[in-house]
Amino acid sequence: MYIALIASFHVLVSHLTVAAAWFNLYLERRAVKENQPEFYQYLKKSALGLLVFAYVFGALSGVGIWFSTTAGNPRGISTLIHSFVFYWASEWYMFWIDVAGIIAYYYTLNKVSNRTHLKLAWILALGSTGTLVIIVGILAFKLTPGAWLATGQSLDGFFNPTFWPQLMARFFAMFAITGVWAVAVAAQMPKSSPYRNEIIRDASAFGLLGLVLSGITIQYWFLPAVPESARALLQTPAVPSITFTLIAICAIVVVAYYLQAIAWPKVQHWALAVGALAVLFSGVFGLERVRELLRKPDIVAGYLSSNQIVIQDMPARGIKAEEEALNQTGTLDNLPFLADSGSPMENGRRLVTQQCSSCHTTSTQTTIKVGQNGLALRSVARLFQERNMTSPQQIETYLGALGGFPYMHPVIGTQEEKAAMAIYLADLVAEFYPSQQGAQR
Amino acid sequence: MSPEQFLPLMRDPLGAPIYPPILQALLVITFVLHFFFVTLAVGSSATGIYGSLQSDPRWQQLARIATRLTPNAIGLGVVSGIAPLLFVQTIYDPAWYAANALLGFWSVLFIFIVAIGYALAYFAYLDQKSSRRRIIASSFSLALLLLAGFIMHAIATVSIYPENWQAWYAPGGIIDTTGLSFHAIQVPRLVFVLPLSAGLSLAITLMLFAWYFQRRQDADPAFLSWVAELGRKLGLYLSPLYALFGVLWGLTQGAELGIAIPVTLILGIVGVLLWLYFRRLRDPVNQAVQALGVFAITLVLVGITREAIRSASLARFNYNIATYPYQSDWAGIIFFAITSVAGVVAVVYLAQVLYHSGSAPDGGEVPAKTESIGTWAIRLLGIWLGIFLLAGIWFSVQ
Repeated sequence: MYIALIASFHVLVSHLTVAAAWFNLYLERRAVKENQPEFYQYLKKSALGLLVFAYVFGALSGVGIWFSTTAGNPRGISTLIHSFVFYWASEWYMFWIDVAGIIAYYYTLNKVSNRTHLKLAWILALGSTGTLVIIVGILAFKLTPGAWLATGQSLDGFFNPTFWPQLMARFFAMFAITGVWAVAVAAQMPKSSPYRNEIIRDASAFGLLGLVLSGITIQYWFLPAVPESARALLQTPAVPSITFTLIAICAIVVVAYYLQAIAWPKVQHWALAVGALAVLFSGVFGLERVRELLRKPDIVAGYLSSNQIVIQDMPARGIKAEEEALNQTGTLDNLPFLADSGSPMENGRRLVTQQCSSCHTTSTQTTIKVGQNGLALRSVARLFQERNMTSPQQIETYLGALGGFPYMHPVIGTQEEKAAMAIYLADLVAEFYPSQQGAQR
Repeated sequence: MSPEQFLPLMRDPLGAPIYPPILQALLVITFVLHFFFVTLAVGSSATGIYGSLQSDPRWQQLARIATRLTPNAIGLGVVSGIAPLLFVQTIYDPAWYAANALLGFWSVLFIFIVAIGYALAYFAYLDQKSSRRRIIASSFSLALLLLAGFIMHAIATVSIYPENWQAWYAPGGIIDTTGLSFHAIQVPRLVFVLPLSAGLSLAITLMLFAWYFQRRQDADPAFLSWVAELGRKLGLYLSPLYALFGVLWGLTQGAELGIAIPVTLILGIVGVLLWLYFRRLRDPVNQAVQALGVFAITLVLVGITREAIRSASLARFNYNIATYPYQSDWAGIIFFAITSVAGVVAVVYLAQVLYHSGSAPDGGEVPAKTESIGTWAIRLLGIWLGIFLLAGIWFSVQ
């Protein structure tokens, strides 16, 4: 949840920087070619906002995803880094162009010739698009690693089956986000400005078109490119049905927002645009959650499970699947940080932490406490409590059947280890729900 | 399980995509760039606060300049930090991931701390109305930046003591998943890399500022001389401390890891040479670029020493970069090389435009030669994008 929140914010601001760079380029070209210097009033406001808000927070939240996934699932991020470090390093140049570019863009407005400044706009637009095309390859790889699973070659993983649909869907979606941003900026211009309404209309038209094209791309190109097994997950409890309702409502609200902005540009206010941006954030959150859930129960579909175990041989890279061997030998004393403590309860705690904590709250230590209330996201204790499974025996049986769920990976390890996990989990349920346990006794 | 056993197990089975010492060199080079900007952000933030509290109008003016510089330095520090973050994860993955997990709470919070620090720094820059509010915002911003530096120091330190990881993970045999403890702090190292380096980065930047603005007709030469001299004095007073804490770092952590002599000698000599340089510096305005070169060499030497400490520590458990498994990823390497050409040309052009735009209060003329760099930057980025997309189509069709 935490990673998803950072990621959604990152998507919002990073997508904004790309399409905003193109929209600003569009206006600046008009300013130069049609000799309409009034557009610079908008460009200055927009550039300051992008400089302060979008570019640096985009970079910061991107690094934030790294840090949070590193803490949450180090082997997952490690797989991406070790597969695509040079692609990411290439993106680093684009980040430099973005951040140095927006600093140059803002601080040199009206300080260099219009022709020179237009070049900066071009560089920003191309550089920010560079960041998009690189990161999409890496993101799409997690869902559909494609031929990489057989060849182990980075390009096979990068240009994978969902690369193009995801690239296009995101490119269009960026304009949906930027349209709202541009309206928020233009709405602050004096109402007497002859260009205020024109910019609002143009931005809204761009945004509306982007939203519609993005929706069509997702529905008719991206989803069909996703493996059947992944699409089937959309019908399971792994994706709460409210998610789709939320996405649909957000889309309808934003479409309505754009239509009214086109119809009545004069009455637009920045606060309303900020509200639309908040709605977009909710929609992005829903969509990103769905995209992430589609590759469940793996981090890299078909290669690395969410409990950080390699699940498939890759002879091209000399890699052997770990699952079967660990089921034979057990994970205690065979995986780092999983020393056999001698106590079934403590062993259970270690095993549950290793296998479940990527997705679930597995301890009261990691529950977010607000006053007397605790927020335990996707708590294993709650899941067992809801299913009335409170004894070690019941839980052990359930653990053995986990692989039957399409969005869960089988528990790894020996029967003895599963029994230890069950002991700890039963204790955890009692710790989370002491009153219910007492009543049952 | 001993560190000798678990370190190889924790390495990613995919291996590195190129001969690992090359990544090690890239790690040091890019770290130096990052280190300069983040320490500059701390130094300029402190100057903004100190200057605002002074009655001397020169300090007041300098405070305004520093307050404007701070958020930009943070932004560049964040961006420049991405590359070393990539390379460290590639060749030191067991150490980096273990340290991040052990300090999970702080490593997850880290980016929020930097983000709020950045937002407050920008707030201070944009708030022209109340100096009191500006000082308060800057003070909180500086506190958060220092906390971020402290967290990074703790992660770096924890990462090189694999012999303690298991005990830190499960103190008394019970695992602690809160990630709240800092576990390992190395005071001489912390003082060396944070406040002292911040002061020196600031010293060089003050001289560069005077050098840059001396060509402006509206600039006050007396103020610029004062700023440059302030930079020189800062360097002069801090470099002996730099030497002292460098020596202390060598005699403590260096000795603990069996490399006391090289660390002590390099950091001590670097500090002394820096002191001699600042002492002999006669014209800090016109010699600012030279001073930047000297400081760049200093930072590279510090970066290499820091890397040597990490290597020596992990070598105690047979973890060597030279023996890290690798399989060359030629597609990635070529892609990186092509992007480097387009990226460097574009960034050079951006820096040139910024430089020329400041030659007069109302802007400046960008020379034709620079303009042609800009044209090439656009062409190269366009070609880069074209190659990239064509390769994508070709692969998809295949």
